[in-house]
Amino acid sequence: MTGTSMHPIRVFVRWATTQRKSVSIIGSGPSGFYTACRLLSKSPIPLDVTLWEKLPVPFGLSRYGVAPDHPEVKNCEQTFTEYARKYLYPGVDGHTFRFRGNVTIGKDLELNTLMKRQDAVILSYGCSGDHKLGIPGEDDTKGVFTSREIVNWYNGHPDFAKSEKLNGFDWESVRKVGIIGNGNVALDLARVLLSCRENDIWAHTDINPFALSAFRRAPIQEVKLIARRDFVHSKFTNKEYRELWELEQYGIRGFISDQYFDASKIDLTNADRVQKRRVEMTSEYLKPFNERTKKNYRKFPPPAAGFKKHWEMDYLKTPLRINSGADGKLKSLTVCPNILSADSKIEPLAYEEIDYDMDVLITSLGYGSSPLVDFPSLNIGFAKNHVYNDRGMVLNTQGSIIPGLYVSGWIKKGSSGVIASTMADAFEVADMVITDLRSVASSKSRAIDISGVRFTTWKDWEKIDLEEKARGKFQNKIRDKFIDTNDILAFLRE
Amino acid sequence: HGHLTKPKKGEELHVTFILKDGTQKTYEVAAGDSLLDIAQAHNLDMEGACGGSCACSTCHVIVDPDYYDALEEPDDDENDMLDLAYGLTETSRLGCQIKMSKAIDGIRVALPAMTRNVSNKDFD
Ligand SMILES: Cc1cc2nc3c(=O)[nH]c(=O)nc-3n(C[C@H](O)[C@H](O)[C@H](O)COP(=O)(O)OP(=O)(O)OC[C@H]3O[C@@H](n4cnc5c(N)ncnc54)[C@H](O)[C@@H]3O)c2cc1C
Ligand code: FES
Repeated sequence: MTGTSMHPIRVFVRWATTQRKSVSIIGSGPSGFYTACRLLSKSPIPLDVTLWEKLPVPFGLSRYGVAPDHPEVKNCEQTFTEYARKYLYPGVDGHTFRFRGNVTIGKDLELNTLMKRQDAVILSYGCSGDHKLGIPGEDDTKGVFTSREIVNWYNGHPDFAKSEKLNGFDWESVRKVGIIGNGNVALDLARVLLSCRENDIWAHTDINPFALSAFRRAPIQEVKLIARRDFVHSKFTNKEYRELWELEQYGIRGFISDQYFDASKIDLTNADRVQKRRVEMTSEYLKPFNERTKKNYRKFPPPAAGFKKHWEMDYLKTPLRINSGADGKLKSLTVCPNILSADSKIEPLAYEEIDYDMDVLITSLGYGSSPLVDFPSLNIGFAKNHVYNDRGMVLNTQGSIIPGLYVSGWIKKGSSGVIASTMADAFEVADMVITDLRSVASSKSRAIDISGVRFTTWKDWEKIDLEEKARGKFQNKIRDKFIDTNDILAFLRE
Repeated sequence: HGHLTKPKKGEELHVTFILKDGTQKTYEVAAGDSLLDIAQAHNLDMEGACGGSCACSTCHVIVDPDYYDALEEPDDDENDMLDLAYGLTETSRLGCQIKMSKAIDGIRVALPAMTRNVSNKDFD
């Protein structure tokens, strides 16, 4: 469907002076989709935009990262859907939009082919790997997981939902959980694990039912979040932090030792609003409910029966090794205390070891990323978890701009930033692409052959989406996700 | 995107948006409409990624100090999201949380230059 022949004459005449151009975007998460939306809404040149996605379904971490009890965060998917529908058929402004799922760039289709046949290519494929601690026992101890494994599992990601490592694990014996890291993903994990038995939180969500029932089998009493730095350097945002405190209404209580949090010792003179609020929130919530001074910390009284579960923020520790029993199962984590130097560098006091008993350990160190397989042959620069770039223009290994190749989202900077910041970044990159396309006189647009690949289209996704919602409705949930790529493809064949 | 109520005769309220390029746009609106609804109905550059659920901060506006105090104070949820708004000011608010009312008739708000996040330490 490339070329102008398919479009109404009116459109053709209007754009006769500006040749249509083609853009391919790799990855359909928030960055890829927001890049597409911006191109479609702002480009004066008619564009054929193709969004390539490895999975048969769109939306990346909005679908497979954001926690199931945060459905409002996923509302960006509505905007993406509006755009996809609007441009599925050539509209008044002459653009077209295509979604091609189940196509892995670098495997089913070479990046090089896209670069030769498209006027612009944007890498938005995010971060889908793990960071490692690199300590003994990390890879071979039963009960040690990465945050990405657990998150993908509870979100029903097809590569993880049926994993034997996760489903077959002995969750029945899990009382204590350690999480290394205190970013928002770590807080999501703590919240899910501690609150999983609360039906008012979980019953209506699209959480993978297998993961939910596994968590519910675990008699979890305590979750400890272990960080290398101190309280002031905590990585979570106040929204997620407050949510954790507010679990006290379910009998789930938070704790921070006064060794790590003493409001009177924190100098707030130069602190920003985020820090000030965090300190106030902590001081207030640490007090017993009836002793809190501000009423916004007294919204959700704890149950009369008292507290049955706890979470704790631990600070200034370096994990040293993971210890297991003869059965290969996790027993404990050995850590040592750290001190922070004046310039905020971590200095571990390795001689002073502490053992934390635990049944599950989750490392939450951020999502890692990797280059696409054809980067080396194309001489594309990649290091430290992101594609080399200058404000989104991709650079080669020598640092020069590769014309027509761009990058947006997590793969541009590494795995940090919420959807709002990912969006702002995608918009900036799209604006640059639009400017560049205007100065390119001729178009390289040529058809791309993927006839050998069983790809999915936007219409396929809409069918899947409807089916998931229908199945969900039946169970009084917002959605019941397909958790297997084969099931998706079989359903589409029906 | 943004469905507005038609104001009844004699009950029209006014709101002025100052756009990123400095242009001013004044609209006649009804009580109850949020600044996000109004901005989107008029195709102003306000994303509203979470659809007005106070979960994204992409509807950040800077309120003219003359009107700021007439607004009810932001609640915890709004404050949590304001934490993440780019270019936060003393009179920043979320457009989806401000509903038009007589008390703020004539309110003036500026769209910030960028809605990007201040910190990069939030999600990793
Ligand atoms: C656990 C977790 C919870 C989060 N919760 C929140 C939250 O509550 N609120 C919030 O605002 N933000 C949250 N975020 C952050 C938010 O998800 C990110 O800002 C955003 O998803 C980044 O978008 P992206 O498009 O760069 O990456 P992604 O969303 O990862 O999208 C990348 C896409 O590319 C695809 N892909 C990968 N390789 C290829 C290939 N070779 N070919 C084709 N396609 C490919 C992937 O399948 C994926 O669909 C969370 C993140 C995580 C990890
Ligand atoms: S629209 Fe998301 S916070 Fe207002």
